[in-house]
Amino acid sequence: MNYILPHTWSGSIQTVTIGATKQEGGTRSVSYEIGGDTDLPFMNRSGKKPLLAYEICDDTAIWPQVVRDAMPKGISDPASWAAYGEKTLKPDCIRLNLTSTRKPNSSDFASISATVQSVLAATTLPLIIEGSADPAVDSEVYIRCGEAGQGERLVLGTAEADRYRSVAAAAMAYDHIIIAQTPIDVNLAKQLNILLRETGIPDNRIIIDPYTGALGYGFEYTYSTMERIRFAALKGDDDLAMPMISAPADSLTVKEIRESDSPSEIAVSWERATAVASAIAGAAILVVRHPGTVLPLRTAIDALWEGSRREVSDGA
Amino acid sequence: MPTVTFLPGFQKVEVPKGDSILSAARKAGLPVNVVCGGIGKCGKCVMFLKSGRTEFDNQRYEEFFTAEELHNGACLACRTYVIDDCQVFVPEQTLIQSQQILIDTLGHTVDLNPSVWKYHLQLKPPTLDNPISDLDRLLDGVHDAGGPVDKRIYAPLELLRRIPSVTRESGWNVTATIALVPGGYRLIHIEKGDTRKKMYGAAVDLGTTTIVVFLRDLTTGQVLGVTSNYNRQISCGEDILSRVNYGKLGGFPKLQALAAESINAAIQTAANAAGVDIDDIYEVVIAGNTIMTHILMGIDPSYMIHEPYVPVVRRALSTSASRIGLSVRPNGGIFIFPAVSDFIGGDIIADILASGMTGSSDISLMIDIGTNYEVVLGNNDWIFACAGAAGPALEGGEVLFGMRANPGAIEKVSIDPATLEPTFSTINNSNPLGICGSGLIDILAELLKACVIDRNGRINTAIPHPRIRPGPYYPEYVLVWKEKAGINKDIVITENDIKNLIMSKASTLAACTVLMNVAGITRTDIKTIYFAGGFGNYINKDHATTIGLIPEVSIDQIKNLGNGAAEGANMALLDRKKRKLLNEIAEKIGYIELNATPSFMDEYTRSAFLPHTDLSLFPTVERALQQCRIRVVNP
Repeated sequence: MNYILPHTWSGSIQTVTIGATKQEGGTRSVSYEIGGDTDLPFMNRSGKKPLLAYEICDDTAIWPQVVRDAMPKGISDPASWAAYGEKTLKPDCIRLNLTSTRKPNSSDFASISATVQSVLAATTLPLIIEGSADPAVDSEVYIRCGEAGQGERLVLGTAEADRYRSVAAAAMAYDHIIIAQTPIDVNLAKQLNILLRETGIPDNRIIIDPYTGALGYGFEYTYSTMERIRFAALKGDDDLAMPMISAPADSLTVKEIRESDSPSEIAVSWERATAVASAIAGAAILVVRHPGTVLPLRTAIDALWEGSRREVSDGA
Repeated sequence: MPTVTFLPGFQKVEVPKGDSILSAARKAGLPVNVVCGGIGKCGKCVMFLKSGRTEFDNQRYEEFFTAEELHNGACLACRTYVIDDCQVFVPEQTLIQSQQILIDTLGHTVDLNPSVWKYHLQLKPPTLDNPISDLDRLLDGVHDAGGPVDKRIYAPLELLRRIPSVTRESGWNVTATIALVPGGYRLIHIEKGDTRKKMYGAAVDLGTTTIVVFLRDLTTGQVLGVTSNYNRQISCGEDILSRVNYGKLGGFPKLQALAAESINAAIQTAANAAGVDIDDIYEVVIAGNTIMTHILMGIDPSYMIHEPYVPVVRRALSTSASRIGLSVRPNGGIFIFPAVSDFIGGDIIADILASGMTGSSDISLMIDIGTNYEVVLGNNDWIFACAGAAGPALEGGEVLFGMRANPGAIEKVSIDPATLEPTFSTINNSNPLGICGSGLIDILAELLKACVIDRNGRINTAIPHPRIRPGPYYPEYVLVWKEKAGINKDIVITENDIKNLIMSKASTLAACTVLMNVAGITRTDIKTIYFAGGFGNYINKDHATTIGLIPEVSIDQIKNLGNGAAEGANMALLDRKKRKLLNEIAEKIGYIELNATPSFMDEYTRSAFLPHTDLSLFPTVERALQQCRIRVVNP
């Protein structure tokens, strides 16, 4: 069936370019333009497929147990992990989570630069970096990240309403993209985007993270917030007309996984199902952590976008 | 029992061991400033232990003090318990001080049409030919003098007892006072001779914090005196909830007595100044919030503070003065304004009456801001009202250096966007002690315009300036250096204070928006915004709009109603026909329960931003802020 639903929306989603190829001044093998949508996902099958990002970290101490258990042997550092990810799982981008900065009194800023450089060397994919979440170290951490990735058009996260200046300053100084995260509320999302604009960040350098609750544990709020953000944007609200990123990491720690006899399979199902739902709600980037999730999620997304339903089956 | 001596006045009281210093202070008659009701939360009841033994956990409450203060024996009176005889120093700012109270009102004219009349009568003495009773003779005389027919006049027993002697001793030359009461008339006094010129009335604004009394000559309508004082119930808790909680523990009789006492004291002061005998006050009209009037009438209001928040009575009430302990003419009439709900009381009905907003098809928005706010939207056709909690921030509570509008309070502030240096003025030009509500709104607007804070109220600590510093708990902006302050500390505003202020303003603006949505109107449909209460007179309206306390309209559309409650009470005192209007207004109001309005939280979040998440609702403010931003970025 192919019919066009009529609508009178005037707005569209900003396009944001992530990653930079050699021609664009970086060293990535590819760059992506996300956003640009003019209606709801699937409404007229006009939207772009979301990008899949595989998330790695530099200190697995706070990484979900189920993910640690599923890690392939022989990975000793973020660089080899990134290389494994790119080669084996074939995501569209890599997200490096600098979990080492979440330790109390972390101050090893030199190693942050080194880690970022090594990961950039180990993968040719565009890089998303999740930095610190402590105002005491934020400034230093984000400057190191920004500096190490200069020219690469990194996606730097995460700006929040009570600590956005450091990450915004680094993104501005080194020409990166910024992730703006708010706790599942359309108004708070709009407010943070206004704050970021007032620090000088252009709208086409912001990606909204509406925060992804785990399926069964509040994801419905996320879904409806994402819908409201998209509706507002289509109706012409420029403050919300940015592409969205969804990272269903909370899905990996739900009770059903912890109590399961086969946690890894449950984790993959849960993370993938949450990510698929986010895609339907309009996410432009899906970030997953479990190595087992990437390929089935790709299959599911391809099937959804290309309409070939038979490929959608568990663990395909 | 241990004796507690309070310095510098050397008041001594004996209290049982284990009693708090606060209860000792109350026993000693000291009006201690207790915002939280004495539960260790507000840090306002600071005293200094000079000698003797007490028990106080100074680590637990250390946030309220500097190290130096702790060294000097600082303690919170409500959390310090007496062990032995002790001496306690009470700093001036710990006591409730004389407050700036608004007592001037709009220049409305009303007809002089009171509900009491005096009839001077020269009666014929009874004879065998004309042996009708004394009462009938008197009431016939009243009717002949133009008064109501005798059958409709009720004569209370205590007056019947006076009639035989007063009539005969005066040679049947008497003045009878008749009042209009529900269902008829009432004989309220009989005097010898002609006393028609001595007929007075009082209009009372019974507030949670203050009581304002207007004394008027009911034969001319003239104001003879205006007085105001604190509601003495404050010693039982600052806010209304803590008073109801106090009442629930058996304290309602005391609260009732304190309310009556406060009104009596104010009336007495006004009467003394005007040379009026309080016995010649025949009528008292009282406008107060629903809980206050319930308490004054001796009606238990405890059920009103719980879901589903039902008052005992909504309609206007009448009684006689002696029944509620008012010390005017004992049979004098008391008229209590009707209420709409638990939170929309007679004071708001009085505000509406005073504003005249129900007399025209133009739409008005009226806001009464205090710890709680009431918002009324409407015209001659329809009215919606709602009420909610603003929190004490706009009155200086929950703000580190917040204070009431007492002498020494910083009330006006401007901040130079280039140098970030403040200019301010204080009430009575005293040395600055703290910041009151109007000053706080100024600071918020000025810091926003100077880009020291962002629209979330976060202080930009990256600005290198001595006045901007990380602070012990929250980032802060130094308004007054210690050397220039009247207290031994820098007066600062912290990010937490700003957060509390934003929550207060967000709640108020969200309530306005909810009413506008219910009525299906936008800000451009509003003709006039009224500020009721003292607050409106002191705040900078431009700044109130800049921070988004109220919807944006042009500044000349914002009017101060002043003390609308007192104004409305005065109108009802002078013109009894206005009282009929009151019930009509009360019945017309559609009360919107914000707790039951799902969109309220959404509007609240949208409003918790300076001035609002949807900047297009504040176009003029936005243009001004853009200019400020350009100026700050390119000085």
